Amino acid sequence: MTVAARDRAALLGAVLLVLAAGRPVTAQAPRQLELGIESFNYRSAETALNRDDVLGFDRYAGLLRAVLGWRETHGAFRAVFRGYVEQNYGTRQDELSWVARQAYAQYWWGDKLGVRLGKQRIAWGSGFAWNPTDRLEPAKNALNTTFEREGALGARLDWVPSARTSVVLVGAQTDANPRDLPVAATNVQRRAGAVRARVLVSNTDLALVLSAGKNQRSLVGFDVGRDLGGSLSLHAESSLYRGAEMWPPRDGELFFRIVVGGLRTSGTNAFVLEYFYNGEGYSATQFHRWLSGLDASWAAASDPALPPPAQQAALAAYAFGVSVPYSAGLGLRRQYLHASWTRGSPTSVWTGGVSSVVGLSDGGVALSPGVGFAPRGNVTLNLDGVLLLGPVDSEFRLRPLQGALQARLKVLF
Amino acid sequence: MSDPRRALLLAASLLAQAALARAAGPDAATILRRADRAVLGEAAVYTLRMTVIRTGKSDRVVEMKGWKKGDEQGLVRYTAPAKERGTAYLRSGQNTWLFLPSAEKVVRVGARQNFGGGDFSNADIFRLSLIRDYDPTLAGEETMEGQETYKLELKAKDRSIAYDRVVYWVRTDGTFYPVRADYYTLAGKRLKSLVVSEVKPLGGRTRPTLLAMESRVDEGSRTLLQFLTIQDDVSLEDRLFSPGALERGE
Repeated sequence: MTVAARDRAALLGAVLLVLAAGRPVTAQAPRQLELGIESFNYRSAETALNRDDVLGFDRYAGLLRAVLGWRETHGAFRAVFRGYVEQNYGTRQDELSWVARQAYAQYWWGDKLGVRLGKQRIAWGSGFAWNPTDRLEPAKNALNTTFEREGALGARLDWVPSARTSVVLVGAQTDANPRDLPVAATNVQRRAGAVRARVLVSNTDLALVLSAGKNQRSLVGFDVGRDLGGSLSLHAESSLYRGAEMWPPRDGELFFRIVVGGLRTSGTNAFVLEYFYNGEGYSATQFHRWLSGLDASWAAASDPALPPPAQQAALAAYAFGVSVPYSAGLGLRRQYLHASWTRGSPTSVWTGGVSSVVGLSDGGVALSPGVGFAPRGNVTLNLDGVLLLGPVDSEFRLRPLQGALQARLKVLF
Repeated sequence: MSDPRRALLLAASLLAQAALARAAGPDAATILRRADRAVLGEAAVYTLRMTVIRTGKSDRVVEMKGWKKGDEQGLVRYTAPAKERGTAYLRSGQNTWLFLPSAEKVVRVGARQNFGGGDFSNADIFRLSLIRDYDPTLAGEETMEGQETYKLELKAKDRSIAYDRVVYWVRTDGTFYPVRADYYTLAGKRLKSLVVSEVKPLGGRTRPTLLAMESRVDEGSRTLLQFLTIQDDVSLEDRLFSPGALERGE
């Protein structure tokens, strides 16, 4: 049994134990069930990250999932399970697998103290597209436009000493793979502990984050949020850490990341604008050096004059280089802009929106239009697209998956 | 002037002042303070149904549970429909946060943001205290919505308040139930009108239970807030109204 399979088996056991240990379900007990289907369809391409289709994609590759969500609440106790059975297609290793996205039990003593155990979202930080203070969860797939992300296996303690202050302690274990891509990144398991202390001062949210662990850079984070009156709120989330998360390690260097942005609401419209500075991101020189390294590795891997061991080593070096953009989860380059608009009429069954991330360092654009349809109060259907635009050698256009169409049907009971 | 005559004049003067005071009734601040507590008490737990009405479209009905403490703190969690269950708004002082259950994320939003896409703003829903946000003056008495009312002119104390000016009608019959409110911009444009009605026993006392907000900008746009249950004078901890506790979910 592999480590991942053991983790999943342990998780399933924990969930069954929690559900079995819970008090009998009463008529008043709020139970929420969710059934869904998710489909992620990607269009693949041969790019510098997928020479001669070395990753083995068909022209169209993707995932098809059946999703189950289950939430039981008994007073201060809650158990949550969200998972899916998934079938890949169009990849070299099409397989059926299942994943627990969330599986945790939670108990709160009043509103003062809460404990949560199991696989869970951490979800802290004021940023929308990037959260440089949250390095505990698996990296986010930039092509997945939904908010939903897979959780990290961990224990969380919430302490709310007063209405103006709260402290969160988390110990978590995760791997760096975004699971909703048919391509594996570096399979590095991270174990980390983190504390987030929040205080409300003069109508301003302030939070300090400290985070450290195995295969995890130690960081100090700072988060601030404030209304500017009316319908505008501003936020800034930053982190400072030594050594890069992305290759090369650059152990002695100090890096800084910051997201600065605002949310404006107007009627049924919401607008978000954010700027992200990714201090460890590649400069133009580093970027082209990385691309040259990929080209050299590929040339060696496919050079019949070299002995097979040398070819294999070169191919491994190429595969490692290909995984670099996915390894840190916050972007390969230094500067980005995120803009989004969503609209939801209160009485219409339709919602819509568009989100875009612009790579200011290279001109690449990831554009994600989406539409939602909710014919009933418990049924939602979402269709989202991802278009990657801009210069051919920009970060987004280099991806082996050049675009995506995502469909999600959810029925709640 | 003899002492008996002087005493008589003094007594007459006192009686006249008392009669004038009775005729003048309570001052504007007292009326507003009493009206602030007419629907919900100092601390309350309640459930309500919000119906958003738009011309030519199906009504949208949302149910929620709310907690209120004093003039500073309010929390509302959606309970239905299923797709919106768990969404929560928290108001504490001048701050408003939104909890998005799908992202398990707490987001700051402005007080002027429309609540749940209806015609009430976040500030209207939590309506924690008009006396705190506005300077009232008594503009007279008149019949409004079939009721004898005090007419109050409310002027926002600062620009962060949701509306710059409110005209507010409150019943004169000693109940101080609000009857109607018109909300204006600084330029004098009427944005919305609120009608408060359906006075009936709920939660141990008689009170208005239906709030209907009508947009004066979008013709035919109305939102109804119907209180289903109210429990007054409950003991609520301050930390219930914190973003930290908001993250625990419903």
